[in-house]
Amino acid sequence: MIEAQALSKRYGAKTAVDAVSFTVQPGKVTGFLGPNGAGKSTTMRMIVGLDSPSGGHVTVNGARYATHRAPLREVGALLDAKAVHTKRSAYNHLRAMAATHGIPNSRVKEVIDLTGLGPVAKKRVGGFSLGMGQRLGIAAALLGDPHTVILDEPVNGLDPEGVQWVRHLAKGLASEGRTVFLSSHLMSEMAQTADHLIVIGRGRIIADAPIQSIIDGQGRVRVRVRADRPQDLLGSLAGDGVTSQVLEPELIEITGVEPRRIAEIALRERVLVYELTPIQVSLEDAYMQLTQGEVEYHSGNPAADQTSGGQGAVHRDDAQIAPTAEKGR
Amino acid sequence: MATSTQPVPAERRSQRPRTSGPGVTFGRVLKSEWIKVTTVPSTVILIISTVVVMVGLAALFAWSQSISAEALSDPDFPAEFQAPAEGPGSPGFAALSVPSSGLIFGQLLIAALAVVLIASEWTTGMIRSTMVAVPKRTPALLAKTLVVAVVAFAVGLGSALISYLVAQPILRGEDIDFAITEDGVFQSILNTGTFLALVAIISMAIGILLRNTAGGVVTAVGIFFVLPLIVQLLSGLADWIPKAARFLPGDAGNQMVSITTLEDDLTQWEGGLVMGAWALGLLLVALLVAKKRDV
Repeated sequence: MIEAQALSKRYGAKTAVDAVSFTVQPGKVTGFLGPNGAGKSTTMRMIVGLDSPSGGHVTVNGARYATHRAPLREVGALLDAKAVHTKRSAYNHLRAMAATHGIPNSRVKEVIDLTGLGPVAKKRVGGFSLGMGQRLGIAAALLGDPHTVILDEPVNGLDPEGVQWVRHLAKGLASEGRTVFLSSHLMSEMAQTADHLIVIGRGRIIADAPIQSIIDGQGRVRVRVRADRPQDLLGSLAGDGVTSQVLEPELIEITGVEPRRIAEIALRERVLVYELTPIQVSLEDAYMQLTQGEVEYHSGNPAADQTSGGQGAVHRDDAQIAPTAEKGR
Repeated sequence: MATSTQPVPAERRSQRPRTSGPGVTFGRVLKSEWIKVTTVPSTVILIISTVVVMVGLAALFAWSQSISAEALSDPDFPAEFQAPAEGPGSPGFAALSVPSSGLIFGQLLIAALAVVLIASEWTTGMIRSTMVAVPKRTPALLAKTLVVAVVAFAVGLGSALISYLVAQPILRGEDIDFAITEDGVFQSILNTGTFLALVAIISMAIGILLRNTAGGVVTAVGIFFVLPLIVQLLSGLADWIPKAARFLPGDAGNQMVSITTLEDDLTQWEGGLVMGAWALGLLLVALLVAKKRDV
């Protein structure tokens, strides 16, 4: 279990992580999704105490990471595949890390076998490919048989077989009741691995929900409508969860209403409809929309945006995502 | 690289209570740092270089003293160029400092070893693994400092002992060989190790503060080698310069290995304490900075 409260990190004037609060629950894979530079790595580094927060705090399994008596047995973290002395062999690297906790060499051999490092374990890490480096990082994370596993971009540089292996590993660890927190900037990767998603953009949490509700929420029917009197149509459609935007004088996009319902209302209101196109939103699009919203949110006028409310933001366990007015158009 | 990956672990240990099991202790961190220090090639290379350089220098020094002694015994040699036959300045007396005579370059190699071992943690990224395993940080840095200091002590003591043994046959020709039990000799040999241990601690502190191998080595060489030279050049300018220079870490530390000390100089003990204070102070600052700083 990882609990962050109002966790912030500022570097000078730049805010990398902006008062984020979230809980990562045991027993499932929680994906930490966001574009590069969104604050994922910084957040993870604060969880294990490499960076100290500028504000707020974060605990793992109920206590600050550094206060645990046996940190590697509480949390295993892959933060950086190349956090290894390049002249040392993989085996010696793991042996040195294990020694700090009195973890026996038999466990070192176990994680080497588990990660498929056997053939290269006695070679210097400097010659490793990115994929082998990732496997070594994962091996180090599993050394203490930890209850919480944190993996920052674990599939980076892995071959397809390795990617699949990481997926199975993450799911396997979660099914044993462990907390699994892994980051990625690829929605497609998360879709196949995570049970729960925390989406971060510009240092802020923009979604925190089960993956299915994010898919459902973003995938809500969006319908493009061409009509002679779109305003009359919109007036009758207005209601809960319905959002719309006017693209052209006679072209609008409506979200949250089935196409058939729009047609019924158009018929009743005697509005001439000459196009009615449902638009399917893919998961990738949904993610782009979420994070893009966040980018616009910051580069636009923050004060004005705040008053418009709920700008592309999803709050925890509430999948009511409202992809409102994309201002760019 | 071909890899075979095993299927998802049906980890048997998952039911084990998490609160039990061994945790981090200083002894374990010490063992971990020992493994780290002994599993990189630079350690072995620099230790061998240090011993070779120190013993080689000592042999040369012994040889030059035997030549002086030979000249002294030559009646045709002009008296004004001769070293005194006895007491401080005589070849027989100077020979007593043969075991520690390799320090002038030995200290640079040990400084380089210490800086390389600690700064490479940052340059390679290893420090993140280290700090995740030992998030309290200070035990890990302290353990590494201790390991490197002990290694440096052993290298210094060993080199001085070998130097002593190598020098005796060279000196015997002129009858200026000496026993290890002679006044101050064994203490000088022992303190060759102490001096290098303190050099190692100071260099570790510099490495922690700078987090950069090249910068750290240059700074350490500057403190132990260049600074004394500059001070020597400037010492004629004002009386206070040589007086203050006695308290530089290298100058003070060197007093530890001297056989006798002059009136104005620090004694062996005082020199050791001054250098020890430098080492302790710098290490404290480094540990405090490392504790606060983001990795």
